Amino acid sequence: MLSLPSQLILGFLSAVVISAAVSVARAPSRNSQNGKHIFETQGCQQCHGNQGQGLANTQTQESAPRIGPTRLSQAAFVGFVRHPMGKMPAYRNQDVSDAELADLYAFLQSLAPPTKADPSSANATKGQHLFMSYGCYECHGNEGQGSTQTAGSRIGPIEIPFAPFVAYIRQPTAQMPPYTAKAVSDADLADIYAFLLSRPHSAPAKSIQLLNQ
Amino acid sequence: MAKSRKGPVNRREFLKNAAAGAAALAASPKLADGQPTPSTPRGPVPPMSPEAEFSTPPAPEVLTADRTGSDFMVDVIKSLGIEYVCANPGSAFRGLHESVINYGGNKDPEFITCCHEESSVAMAHGYAKIEGKPLAVFAHGTVGIQHAAMAIYNAYCDRVPVYLIAGNILDATKRINAAEWVHSVQDAAAMVRDYLKWDDLPLSLPHFAESAVRAYKIAMTPPMMPVFLVADAELQENPIPDGLALPIPKLALAAPPQGDSGAVAEAARLLAAAQNPVIIADRAARTPVGLTRLIDLAETLQAPVIDQMWRMNFPSRHPLNQTQRSRELVCNADVILGLECSDFWNALHSFRDQINRTSLPLTKPGVKLIGITATDLFSKSNYQDSQRFQQVDLDIAADAEATLPSLTEAIKRELTSDRKRALQDRGTQFAVAREESLQRARDAAAYAWDATPISTARLCAELWANIKDQDWSLVSFTTFVNRWPQRLWSFDKHYQYIGGHGGAGIGYGAPAAVGAALANRKYGRLSVNIQCDGDLMYAPGILWTAAHHRIPLLSVMHNNRAYHQEVMQVQIMANRHSRGVDRAKIGTAIEDPTIDFTKLAQSLGVHAEGPITDPKDLGPAIRRGLEVVKRGDPALIDAHTQPR
Repeated sequence: MLSLPSQLILGFLSAVVISAAVSVARAPSRNSQNGKHIFETQGCQQCHGNQGQGLANTQTQESAPRIGPTRLSQAAFVGFVRHPMGKMPAYRNQDVSDAELADLYAFLQSLAPPTKADPSSANATKGQHLFMSYGCYECHGNEGQGSTQTAGSRIGPIEIPFAPFVAYIRQPTAQMPPYTAKAVSDADLADIYAFLLSRPHSAPAKSIQLLNQ
Repeated sequence: MAKSRKGPVNRREFLKNAAAGAAALAASPKLADGQPTPSTPRGPVPPMSPEAEFSTPPAPEVLTADRTGSDFMVDVIKSLGIEYVCANPGSAFRGLHESVINYGGNKDPEFITCCHEESSVAMAHGYAKIEGKPLAVFAHGTVGIQHAAMAIYNAYCDRVPVYLIAGNILDATKRINAAEWVHSVQDAAAMVRDYLKWDDLPLSLPHFAESAVRAYKIAMTPPMMPVFLVADAELQENPIPDGLALPIPKLALAAPPQGDSGAVAEAARLLAAAQNPVIIADRAARTPVGLTRLIDLAETLQAPVIDQMWRMNFPSRHPLNQTQRSRELVCNADVILGLECSDFWNALHSFRDQINRTSLPLTKPGVKLIGITATDLFSKSNYQDSQRFQQVDLDIAADAEATLPSLTEAIKRELTSDRKRALQDRGTQFAVAREESLQRARDAAAYAWDATPISTARLCAELWANIKDQDWSLVSFTTFVNRWPQRLWSFDKHYQYIGGHGGAGIGYGAPAAVGAALANRKYGRLSVNIQCDGDLMYAPGILWTAAHHRIPLLSVMHNNRAYHQEVMQVQIMANRHSRGVDRAKIGTAIEDPTIDFTKLAQSLGVHAEGPITDPKDLGPAIRRGLEVVKRGDPALIDAHTQPR
């Protein structure tokens, strides 16, 4: 378990798909200190670096993405750890519990650099305008519904904290083009985050007749 | 290429030259020594001089002919079972045009009037996807061929047979005016030869017959591709000499090549022993038989199928259709079988488009890769449709559809009773996963269900609800609507999906849909088309063709009012330079004014309504459109949609 091979974590979209299929227990609390301990004892740093910054070996074409912070929601994160793709080994419940993964998740998200904005006081209406003018909708859809064609993941309602949200936008690990602070300020991102947070959850598909045919 | 033409005795030419020559002898000034005697052009004979009027009158000029070369060409075309000729009229094939509609009775082939040669070829592309054989396309010399070029390239990349006949006037002395000169070319096929499978320039009618049958056979032999014949105007228009024997060779299509028996046995051994085999089907099912053969293979192995959807390869709701889990399956596979994969490498790698473009293999070390494709049997080098080279462990150069029966039988021989039981357990797990995938798709579709503009999921769900109980055929590509049809609908017949463009040449969609609908018409199938706005604007005249020829087709516009793929590309560059993306719409948006596709379609004779912006209005509009289609006419519903 400790001697991990080089790992490869793949697309967020697929991870979300997997996560939806598994039952994920929500941790009652998030202890990032315990999460750091789990990160080290489970050997995550061997492939993802001491700060979860990701490692790449261009010679062997093997790499592990940055996961500190991760752009995955907690549910997607747990789903991926249980059912990974590529070279990352699966971690079963007897290896690391859901509660421990919740702590690990909290630790990884705490690695996001501080932001200069507070989404709690942001303007969702303005955020919707910015979401369109900054072209977020092109890959993620007007409502943040995501797209298989663009591989833009579903981001409405947003499920990750604000700091990892900003961190990913500044330094994306996958296909997304980076939005630097010069292009989009933290304050604007806070408004966009507020807009995404305000997106209503969908009605259950089973309640929509057209989706049961 | 030979420029001289040694055709049969030309009675019309002989008599015409005799009359003109007499006049010329009497009236023309003496030519300078060494200057060649000019040939008589194909135009009217000049008026006679006063001297000539008092000389012995020449024999009356023969101005009519009972049967010309183009009539025979139509005989040949009929012998091939070609049902339609799609063409924008052009004088370089006026002989053929007239022979089709009069001598041939405008039936088998029937002349289909197109407003652009790109539409003609794309119609042929869509037609062949349904009918499994080509229709003919006539193209005017030079300009018509160049208009057709992009659509030919699409068909070439998509491995689809298209049967092109281009007019030309090879003999320079027969060109009557400036237009005929600029519409003539030394080597007509040269401008498209890079993406043809075969072409020829017949110099006689017997030559035409042989080459026409040969071309058809070549086009229909996997890998299928467009073929091209030049029908020289003189050969079309000259009378057929009395007594000239003009046999038409019998057409016998070549049996498609099957895989080497030893290689097939080795593939069977690897697949039967695999713990996590995966089948990737790209252009695997050429015909309905291909679909059933792939089902047989997958069920024998209880192996998941990833359908890349360039053909209707596999039923969308089959328990072993695991397309929505493709990446996960590829990552965990120990043996992967690629069937007619046009881009096997891409299916096995991830790619990152940042400043430093990188890629990584998705597969585990030691995975065994097997490829079966007829593409290896015919390759060209200039255009790079070959895609990235993928090293494999076992490469079988053969037609996948033709090879599947022997492969499946070989696998059955490898399987013991215990192994079969284990495979059934594997299949049970996939069945559960398939149901979960369907539910996830429905849950995802529910999000933004009532959004305006209409979500692509809602559009596809509304359409499905209105066609699912009918004999339907989706005649459009689904990538631009997030593959929602394959995620939500139940496809189980080969004609229910026609795949895509092949060469990513936009403008294919609308005419291919009309061509496929033309093929579906005689079977009474309901053809439906999810039509992108940018695609339709390349050559919207195809709507008039559908109306004029009473081709029933329901088109629902995916009118997202921009070339969104390109918006994204500009955004990527703008982000890379940290310049902001707010101007990315310049050059990519289709707005100000917003195109009124309802008025456009109505002006071209198509029932249309819209724009539909409230998703609640879409279902009723679709039902009204379907009533028109059921009466045998095309209809268009303009829906304003989200970008994706």
